Amino acid sequence: MTTDALAVTSVAIDVRNLSKRYGSAERGVLALDRVSLRIPAGTVFGLLGPNGAGKTTLIKVLTGISDITSGEASVAGFDVRRESLKVRARIGWVAAEVILDDDFSAWENLWLQAKLQDLSDWRERAREILRYFSLDDRRDDKVSTYSTGMRKKLEIALALLHQPAVIFMDEPTIGLDVATRRMLWDIVTGVHKEFGVTVLLTTHYIEEADALCERVGIIDQGRVIAEGTPDELKARVRADLILLETRNGLDPKRIAALAGVEEVRPQGNEWTIRVSSAEAVLPKLLQAVPPEEVRRISVEKPSLETVFLDLTGRRLGQDEPMRDVRKFYMQMRRARR
Amino acid sequence: MRSQFAGLYLREVLRTFRNPFVMLMTVVQPFMWLAFFGSGFSKYASQLAAVYGTSNYIEFLLPGVLSTSMLSIGMFGSMSTIQDKRFGFMKRILITPTSKQVIFLSKAFGAATRGLIQIPVMVAAAIVFGVSFHLSALDWAVWVLVLMFAAVGFASMFLAITSSSTDWQTPGVVSNFITMPLMFASAALYPSSGFPGWMQAISEFNPISYTASFGRDLVLGKGIDWLYTGYLAIFAFAMVAIGYFVSARWLKVE
Repeated sequence: MTTDALAVTSVAIDVRNLSKRYGSAERGVLALDRVSLRIPAGTVFGLLGPNGAGKTTLIKVLTGISDITSGEASVAGFDVRRESLKVRARIGWVAAEVILDDDFSAWENLWLQAKLQDLSDWRERAREILRYFSLDDRRDDKVSTYSTGMRKKLEIALALLHQPAVIFMDEPTIGLDVATRRMLWDIVTGVHKEFGVTVLLTTHYIEEADALCERVGIIDQGRVIAEGTPDELKARVRADLILLETRNGLDPKRIAALAGVEEVRPQGNEWTIRVSSAEAVLPKLLQAVPPEEVRRISVEKPSLETVFLDLTGRRLGQDEPMRDVRKFYMQMRRARR
Repeated sequence: MRSQFAGLYLREVLRTFRNPFVMLMTVVQPFMWLAFFGSGFSKYASQLAAVYGTSNYIEFLLPGVLSTSMLSIGMFGSMSTIQDKRFGFMKRILITPTSKQVIFLSKAFGAATRGLIQIPVMVAAAIVFGVSFHLSALDWAVWVLVLMFAAVGFASMFLAITSSSTDWQTPGVVSNFITMPLMFASAALYPSSGFPGWMQAISEFNPISYTASFGRDLVLGKGIDWLYTGYLAIFAFAMVAIGYFVSARWLKVE
């Protein structure tokens, strides 16, 4: 076997120049614009971007729910367009809004999933998975009586039943409270280790991408604008930010003159100071500014947030908070139906 | 394909039988026809025994109501499909190796199975209203088969028409346009011999007329009409074929 062949089999998701347009060529919306991505098998890959960036569209295209406008994509070694059924037998899907059959118990939901995946020998594995998620003692209860966390767990259990190569998770923690979100992070990490599955998740939460993902693709306006490990991405920015708020005005020149300060951006009494190393500059800064002048001071280390800011000039999640709320209510409504 | 069909079909059936409200709705509507329309009309109808072929109007009405309720049963299939689209369950189904045609088939046959519940309930109600049945086992079997042909045919027709829709209101709107003309331009509630020409033309092709007349012949002791059975079989197969083709091309997920 050549090394090339090895390389091919170890790619779980391969997207080449993929575009997706909704509507007509003149008036339609270009949801994905020549996206290229190679996701190695066995990784937890996070697609980070604001609402409307094209994250969900990419999942729809890769799972075969939407067709491709142009370009190529393969998942688990099969072409998404030409070998759709083979792809769909090898992927699992966890929806942003929990989608289960509420009239059915957990066990019956698993049974239906097994039927849809055409599995004959699924019961032992289903029992194992339910035990893993600590749902085994409630398996015969209708899922309409489950808590949000339990519903989410069951959804992941469904996605794992047929031993898929890849699991897609669309905004897995949207609208969840902090404790449930933490629990879900542990589950994703655990599932990835335990079941050796490649995970592609989308999120617009910086902490989530940072905490969970081995590799991150930053997506904005239908384009993947950066891709790498969180550390690689952060290394691109190579600067710390000191955010300083003073009581009265200060002379910006005095601060700019300090060694290690790269840039000073005043905004009234709030200052954003870009420095090579916050640890080196802070003592000098505090000498230069009288203590009674300082109202608040904080340091922002390179994060995926600063990466996004650096690449797009916008903060992630700054635009359209309404959409998030709407999505959340949609989920609540569906969960309560 | 067999596994997916079995799963989805059983899901439809289980969901129906577990939901007491749906069960009630399924049974109550045709029962109301018998009880209210039948009782309200029976005094005058019985004076026209020559026209109706019987002095018990319920005897005349029962096969008609059974056949029109197979039509409204069809609407449930498309409503349940739209519900699955709205709640995203259609996506869950399609992100498995399940084809759109299998989804269509499971919905059509699932709806028809729901229609089966009505038969024993309606027959029992008719007995209460004084109808006596003198049917052989074969008569009963072929009658049920004929009603299933109608139910599968109408369910497929509704599913094909609402295939690309995700709107709650579509089945209702479509149903109004289809149910009314098909129900009244048929031999379900009264004999078609008195219709004006244009209504008779509709009735000539109307599967409801054939289903109703078939049942009526049985109840009035005229035996099985195999020609009608054949016509309804062709109707069912044609509608399934159309629905199969349409859903493969136009079944929209969201």
